[in-house]
Amino acid sequence: MRIVTKQFGEIEFQEENTVKFSSGLFGFEQLKKFLLIKTDEELFYWLNSIDEPEIVFPLIGLRVIEEDYPATENFETFGIVTLNSDPLKISVNMKAPVYINQNEKTGFQKIIDSEKYNVHYNLFVE
Amino acid sequence: MLVLTRKTDEEIIINGNIRVKIVAVSEGKVKIGISAPSSVEILRGEIYETVKNSALEASQQSTQTVKDISKLKIHKLEK
Repeated sequence: MRIVTKQFGEIEFQEENTVKFSSGLFGFEQLKKFLLIKTDEELFYWLNSIDEPEIVFPLIGLRVIEEDYPATENFETFGIVTLNSDPLKISVNMKAPVYINQNEKTGFQKIIDSEKYNVHYNLFVE
Repeated sequence: MLVLTRKTDEEIIINGNIRVKIVAVSEGKVKIGISAPSSVEILRGEIYETVKNSALEASQQSTQTVKDISKLKIHKLEK
């Protein structure tokens, strides 16, 4: 199977490598299948929609920001990143983590109802 | 939109398995109790909207070029 992405051009992939989100993502409930792409040198992962290949979300592992961020067994925890040309304005959504099980190829998103976590948390400091 | 009038302690049942109960009413605030299967996601409307808008923004900004981050440090969240 193949899709044409904004970030990586045309990508060929196997059906078994798609990550299934049975409820989609908040605001994007219609998107059920994604590819999780990681390049060697980059800090970010890319969650690229298969249903609508022009839609992609940069992700970052939340353990990089907080070691004991709420975890779910067998799932890795990611935050959706809002990029910006000014790196000090790049932010991470800490309030609505994306959980992905890379063995089972399933994922889901959750909202953490706590004042502690923000939708726009600045990723970098000087 | 269906609009129903309820008194304190009265319930609304949705789909046979979701119960919405008016727990208390006072000065412009309504306390609502909800019982539902764990697979049902219950969210305050404004939190959902904030998360949704942020996802929309993230997808629109995804083609931004990331530069000069090698000298920056990750902003750790302390306890």
